[in-house]
Amino acid sequence: MREQAPAAEAVTPGGDAPAAPVVASSLVGLAPRGIWVVLGLALAALVALGLLALNHETTRLSRAGALALADDGVQSFQRALAVADNGARFPEAGAASAKAVQVALPDEWSRTQPGHTGGVWYRFPLALTQPLPAGELLAAMVDRACSSVEVQLNGVAVFRSGRMTEPYARDCFGAHVVPLPTALLRPQGNVLDIKVAGYPVQRVTARQRAGGLAAVHVGPLSEIRQLADAQVFWTTTLSQIMGGVLVVMGVFSLGLAWVRRLDYLLYFGLLTMGWALMTGRFWRADLAVPNDAMEVLIAMLMAPMTGFAIKFLLGYAGIGVRDKAQQVWNQRVNLLLWAQCLLLPLSLLLLGVDRLFLGARIWFMVFAIELFVAIGHFLWVTGRGRRAEFWLMCAALGVVAAVLGIELSYQNGLLQAGGLHVTHFVMPLLYAAVGVRLIQVYARALQSAEGARAHLERRVQEISVEIERNFNQIAELRVDQIAEKERKRIAGDLHDDLGAKLLTIVHTSDNDRISTLAREALEEMRLSVRGLTGRPMVLSDSLADWRSEVVSRLGQAGIECEWRNPNDTIEEPLSSRTYVQTTRILREAVSNIIKHSGASHVVITADVDLENHVFVLVIQDNGKGIPMELDGRLDRGHGMTSMKHRAKQLSGQCLVESGPGFGTVIRLTLPLEIASMQQVMSHRLGS
Amino acid sequence: MKQILLLEDLPEIRAWLKTLALQVFPGAQISESARIHDALELVNAVRFDVAMVDLGLPDGSGVEVVQALREKQPDVQSVVVTIHDDDDHLFPALQAGAFGYLLKEQSREQLAEQLQRIAQGEPPLSPSIARRVIQYFTAQARLQPVQEPDTVTPHVQLTDRENEVLLRVAKGFTLPEIGVQLNLSRHTIADYVKQIYRKLNVSSRAEAALEAQRLGLFRR
Repeated sequence: MREQAPAAEAVTPGGDAPAAPVVASSLVGLAPRGIWVVLGLALAALVALGLLALNHETTRLSRAGALALADDGVQSFQRALAVADNGARFPEAGAASAKAVQVALPDEWSRTQPGHTGGVWYRFPLALTQPLPAGELLAAMVDRACSSVEVQLNGVAVFRSGRMTEPYARDCFGAHVVPLPTALLRPQGNVLDIKVAGYPVQRVTARQRAGGLAAVHVGPLSEIRQLADAQVFWTTTLSQIMGGVLVVMGVFSLGLAWVRRLDYLLYFGLLTMGWALMTGRFWRADLAVPNDAMEVLIAMLMAPMTGFAIKFLLGYAGIGVRDKAQQVWNQRVNLLLWAQCLLLPLSLLLLGVDRLFLGARIWFMVFAIELFVAIGHFLWVTGRGRRAEFWLMCAALGVVAAVLGIELSYQNGLLQAGGLHVTHFVMPLLYAAVGVRLIQVYARALQSAEGARAHLERRVQEISVEIERNFNQIAELRVDQIAEKERKRIAGDLHDDLGAKLLTIVHTSDNDRISTLAREALEEMRLSVRGLTGRPMVLSDSLADWRSEVVSRLGQAGIECEWRNPNDTIEEPLSSRTYVQTTRILREAVSNIIKHSGASHVVITADVDLENHVFVLVIQDNGKGIPMELDGRLDRGHGMTSMKHRAKQLSGQCLVESGPGFGTVIRLTLPLEIASMQQVMSHRLGS
Repeated sequence: MKQILLLEDLPEIRAWLKTLALQVFPGAQISESARIHDALELVNAVRFDVAMVDLGLPDGSGVEVVQALREKQPDVQSVVVTIHDDDDHLFPALQAGAFGYLLKEQSREQLAEQLQRIAQGEPPLSPSIARRVIQYFTAQARLQPVQEPDTVTPHVQLTDRENEVLLRVAKGFTLPEIGVQLNLSRHTIADYVKQIYRKLNVSSRAEAALEAQRLGLFRR
């Protein structure tokens, strides 16, 4: 059998306290729990006391005498002449068995006719003190007669509620309205005889079904009917309404239990439906079943009902879900409850017909104790978790205590029967409260589940977006890798093929110009390859490379060189394209100086302007300058055009100032591609 | 009389390099080879003084030959003669034990001078190579404490002076400039560079040994 905790609430935070500081945690954990339990018990006691008081009050008010209204002509009988006799008529005085005695109504046989089975005659002298209003019928009302009743007016039978022979009809709860035919009325000395047939308390399992007669009223039919209607409403209609509600609730619970596979809901559904069927008084069918069999059957129903109640309480508290030991206990309890269902009828059969009531009483006591234990256990478990159910259950405990108390004291004869009992209405109300709470818990769980689902959907969406992004990144990376590989392959091919051929030209040509050209072409090729495969450089590293090359070249040419770097190391990234182009420009400039300027001293200043995102290279020599062309432009042969072109390609500029005798100043300004380069850098770092 | 190994696949260039070698080392005995396979056979057969090794060869990389030379003839001076000037080609060669590198397209005079210098124990060091070396040893130093104390790995570390030289080269200063800055002779600076190369090689060999051990190639 699958047990489930009712809701997330069942997981109690306090219950999982770490075991390490055992003493401290148990003290801290126990103290509040004790307080909670005491508070809960106080609430229960309050509810129980309130209920008892209420019951006392309703019983007093609904008692026959209190309802008697002398004004409207209804006469209530508080006393009657009673005699035990199975005859067809009231035994007249002088007969052998006539030992008629005065009894007070309501009359319980267990007091006045102990052990009597069969019929008891009651006689009421009918004195018509007031004349009936015109067109009005006289009627009698029997509040309650158990279990079958016959009414005779002046010796003529006018009403019979059911079979007056064994097994007697079972109609212990309803009121009977009997119109008294005017034709049978005499001017004086009218006698109303009522025969009640029933069983002694020993042969029934509930005192309500033991023989007895409640109050009897006589009056105008309309008044009597009003009285009867009121009573029917309180004793029957209300019960039926509540029973109907309970049935609906039970069906709902069962459906929910089926859908949600929650066992405790199943038990609750069975409990409410069982209760509704037992107390709803839907059937008043007069079955010709022997009384003992019927009584045993009714008592038998109590065992599974108790079982359902206990299983519900345990399941709702979340018992049997957590650990092995609890599951073992749970199985034992199951076994016990089922065994009880079997043991009850067996024990009743063993005790025999005359001790039915005794057996039932003992069993009911056992059930009561079981229920109290179950509720107490529930309180103990939930009290720790501070669940809302705790207070509801405390109130329920009070109700159950009061109801059981009233019921037991009634069954044991400590309380007078008759009138209205709160117990009939309180239990359905309690079920309704628990049911509402269950539905609320379910609705809340549903709501939170939907919330969780929405959250999950959102997360899934987020994650899929992330995955898509990652996928794109990976795809880009892959493209990068492939491109990188391809670049390397091209570079390798260039070196191996073109490079080798150029190299051969460099070293085999007799013509100096051709070998120089080939060497330059080779250098160009290498720079191009570097541009192809190059990783981004840090500006300060690039400056170091340039410095090293320029200084050693100029040094070999015998030209003094002064290189001024910015004071700080500059971590700005530089794309390999910019690096390569700048290298070419510098190379060109240095070549010019070596070949044409005749300079003896060169100053190169590198600077970074972070505000404008540029870096500046100024190359200044003290040579003879570049001669002007006729159109005022600088000599093309000195490579100025290609330098400027390269600078332009990089979105920078290359300014050349020169005049004969003044030397040359080349000012190269290039943008730092910070933003785009940083992306590239982080991308590479990320990979 | 010097024994020189010349590994170069292009016949014209090989001829040209031979002239260059003979110019620098007059009367040297030159063993020519166009393939790694042949060169490795020569390494087993002949004791060399100097080796001029090309990197990109039809049957592999000249680094193999440099490595074989370092293992079998530790005294040989291997010089990489290549068309590649990037770290990705040069650094592994230096790690394998090359003592210097020459770029082929330079004029014969330049090459002759550089070869001469290398032969005299003045290996070249470019800023980008210096940066690579610094990075390499920094990474080594970081890894060092992790290694077990009883492993056979020699603890290779650069001295402060060597670091100083490397840092300055990395910043773009030429070796003569550094000599002036540190008030050291040109010869001393060259010694530092030699030491750096040697340590680079020792370290990389230790690394390779460790790797081999890890892979279970050596059984105790």
